[in-house]
Amino acid sequence: MNRLVTTLNSHRFLLLLVLLLFLFIVPFVMKESWVSLVNEMLVMALAGCALNLMLGYTGMISFGPAGLYAVGAYTTAILLTRYRFPFAIAVISAPVLAGIIGGLIGWFCVRRSAVYFALLTLAFAQIIWTIIFEWYGFTGGDNGIVSIPIPEFFFTISHCYYLTLTVVGISLLLLWTIVQSPFGKTLQAIRENPGRTEFIAIHLRRYQLSAFVLSSAFLGIAGSLFCIFSGSVFPDYAHWVKSTDMLVICLLGGFYNFGGPIVGSAVYIFLSKIISKETMFWMFFLGVIIVFLVLFMRNGIVGFLSEKLAPALHGTSRPSSDEEAQ
Amino acid sequence: MILETQKLAKSFGGLTAVHDVNLHIQEGELVSIIGPNGAGKTTLFNLLTGHISVDSGRVIFKEKDITQLPPHAISRMGIGRSFQRLNIFPRLSAFENIQVAVFSQQRKSRNIFARASKLARHETEAILESVGLLDKKNVTGGLLAHGDQKRLEMGIALAVEPSLLLLDEPTQGMSPKESGELTQLIQKLVRERGLTLIFVEHDMNVVFGISDSIIVLHQGKILFEGKPDKVRKNEEVQRVYLGDERGTWSSLLRK
Amino acid sequence: MTFDAIAGQTLSGISVGMVLFLIAAGLSIIFGTLKVLNLAHGSIFMLGGFLCYGFTSSFVSLPGVFWWTLLAAPLIVALVGGLIEIFLLRRIYTQEMLYQYILTFGLILIIGETCKFIWGVGYHSVGIPWPFGGNVSLWGLSFPVYNLFLIGCGFTVFIGLVALMRYTGLGRIIRAVTYHREMASALGINVPKVYTGVFMLGCWLGGLAGTLMPPMSVVALGSDMAVIIECFIIVVIGGLGSLPGAFVGAIILGLLNAFGIYIIPKLAVAFGFMLMIVILIIRPWGLMGKPE
Repeated sequence: MNRLVTTLNSHRFLLLLVLLLFLFIVPFVMKESWVSLVNEMLVMALAGCALNLMLGYTGMISFGPAGLYAVGAYTTAILLTRYRFPFAIAVISAPVLAGIIGGLIGWFCVRRSAVYFALLTLAFAQIIWTIIFEWYGFTGGDNGIVSIPIPEFFFTISHCYYLTLTVVGISLLLLWTIVQSPFGKTLQAIRENPGRTEFIAIHLRRYQLSAFVLSSAFLGIAGSLFCIFSGSVFPDYAHWVKSTDMLVICLLGGFYNFGGPIVGSAVYIFLSKIISKETMFWMFFLGVIIVFLVLFMRNGIVGFLSEKLAPALHGTSRPSSDEEAQ
Repeated sequence: MILETQKLAKSFGGLTAVHDVNLHIQEGELVSIIGPNGAGKTTLFNLLTGHISVDSGRVIFKEKDITQLPPHAISRMGIGRSFQRLNIFPRLSAFENIQVAVFSQQRKSRNIFARASKLARHETEAILESVGLLDKKNVTGGLLAHGDQKRLEMGIALAVEPSLLLLDEPTQGMSPKESGELTQLIQKLVRERGLTLIFVEHDMNVVFGISDSIIVLHQGKILFEGKPDKVRKNEEVQRVYLGDERGTWSSLLRK
Repeated sequence: MTFDAIAGQTLSGISVGMVLFLIAAGLSIIFGTLKVLNLAHGSIFMLGGFLCYGFTSSFVSLPGVFWWTLLAAPLIVALVGGLIEIFLLRRIYTQEMLYQYILTFGLILIIGETCKFIWGVGYHSVGIPWPFGGNVSLWGLSFPVYNLFLIGCGFTVFIGLVALMRYTGLGRIIRAVTYHREMASALGINVPKVYTGVFMLGCWLGGLAGTLMPPMSVVALGSDMAVIIECFIIVVIGGLGSLPGAFVGAIILGLLNAFGIYIIPKLAVAFGFMLMIVILIIRPWGLMGKPE
């Protein structure tokens, strides 16, 4: 039994290594359009994992991640375009501001029960979208902000790609550290039974708020990265459809695995590029995909693979590990 | 005196659930609260732990007024509790169930950089051992047998190292054998840790077997309190109980 | 601001508020009984609007077409709701809330795209139906008759719903299921049937609102999200699951919007949001609710 766990774990390590190597050589072996696609996958993987810190780990059902993502993107865009801030500061400010605004919004959202949390997150994201959409003088309204003065070095797609890869890599490592920490375990306990945690001296709302702020900051990083990648920002970034993208990425990959949103992002971005080319009604299929996943594949791709495939491969049921409990 | 309440009262709508209850619990005592269904036992626990707000009266714990404090603050001061309905973290392993509470006790819950699996192992295992679940530490909480889940819940409550422990029907839904084992476990833990224990229980064998004193609640009021043999002989208590638990009561009288 | 203007904005605010009440009441009833937050409730409203446009524009020559539509469209919407409950929601009641919410979120896309497919992306309008065109003068002021009609509808439905819940056998059954599902089931109440019925009732209300709205507004894609957010503001004010709460919340929001758009048109949308935030600060449990 023990040996099996070790083999699985070392396999996981090996898989990760192969994946990293592959991601590293992407610009050398792929066409530019594919590099952009992988770039987008990386950004959305980070956004998905950030959202999943709330959904999968803390059990807080947020429908407004795109709002915070847009705060990150617009922070970088506005600081660069309007105030000519140095690039590094414009990027670092994104998670800081997203975290602060996330803190404000989160303070309201955790004040009432879970159902209000869901509807308030959606409402606040809509507020952010409205502000961006209406405030022509500052955000450019529905014209967005284009030709953002990004350092020329990052005009080359492969340079931008490596920046994204590095930042996403570090961010995911941080998120992984967080979910494995005592704080992360406490969040999972809150997900399982929020009422009970109060009787083991956990200040429930404070922890939920902390999770909200952390999640917002990472969403801000993702937004900022996408702003750098595309060189422009639009109100669409805050639109509820963008939140749907992120929710589906988590759902598709699986909520209860750290890697779920990463796999979800890769599959989802790939699919959306292919299907949206063929049909005007991509959103309809997206809706159908959501319904299908909820009804028949609740644990997502990663959950499906580890439940159905792993036992079949090894001819035995998977031993319990930390992973399953999450 | 470790816990005192003064004229504690709570009503829901027009219904008075707890009516001017004065408790005086001495340190190290093993007190049970009995009474027919709807007597206000669980409400009383909920008032003591800040789970619901107090209408009037005061709760004093270790000479501090804790009446208006939220649950997490009361829990931090040293009152632990278990619940009538099972209340664990179902998809965490038994080990993690306890560990999360240990982190809280050690003020490590806010640490976001350390690796949880390497921390507080010893303390967590000690608690698992004391509630007899060490060999099941990797089993997912929700998959444990009912009796084991009850033990796990007690372990969670113990992990925050309370000086006062409130147990709401600890043997509920258990076989006589399991319930006997659990009773022994409770007695052992109380002696070892020098705990003060208040528990609500329907099983009169358990109540009369281990209590230092018994409080009888009826319609939100304290009907009688005293040592087990005094309670057994009290006529008013008998009258209240004859209605719904005649069998239990008469069997106890025969002892 | 003249007295005329105040009276006019008050009336239009209350009449829009009444339509919002119908939607929020549907959302609230569904949540109260099924404990499902139907994020697609705005889409249900929008579907009603498109059906209203579709019928009135296809059967122009039919006398009193709007009134036939008012009868048929909400029923069709309720049937759609019934199908959603039976084939989709029912399968996941035992699952975590997360999945129920995401499912209804997915339905927003499906319903929205279906409307887009059938009716296109343009704005559509529906004429004010006979005999409610024109204005009527009251106390020397002139009011659009259709607005008065909407207010009448809102009050009627409010009183009807309260009476249904309080005084009829059906209402007692619904309340029994709402308060204690297992007990109701043990007493022989067919809980799944009640769930389907309540979900259909909620959708019927949404469809009714959707059918009533077009003559004083337009039918367009995107109204689904706009309306669901308004509903959320209403339930934050009034409390989810409470009919009087929805009624009061809807009137407050309707008035706020009407006066907001009159005073500072550019910031009209912001007023509702600001009210919601203020309520969350000073009375987080809502105007009609109790502290949790």
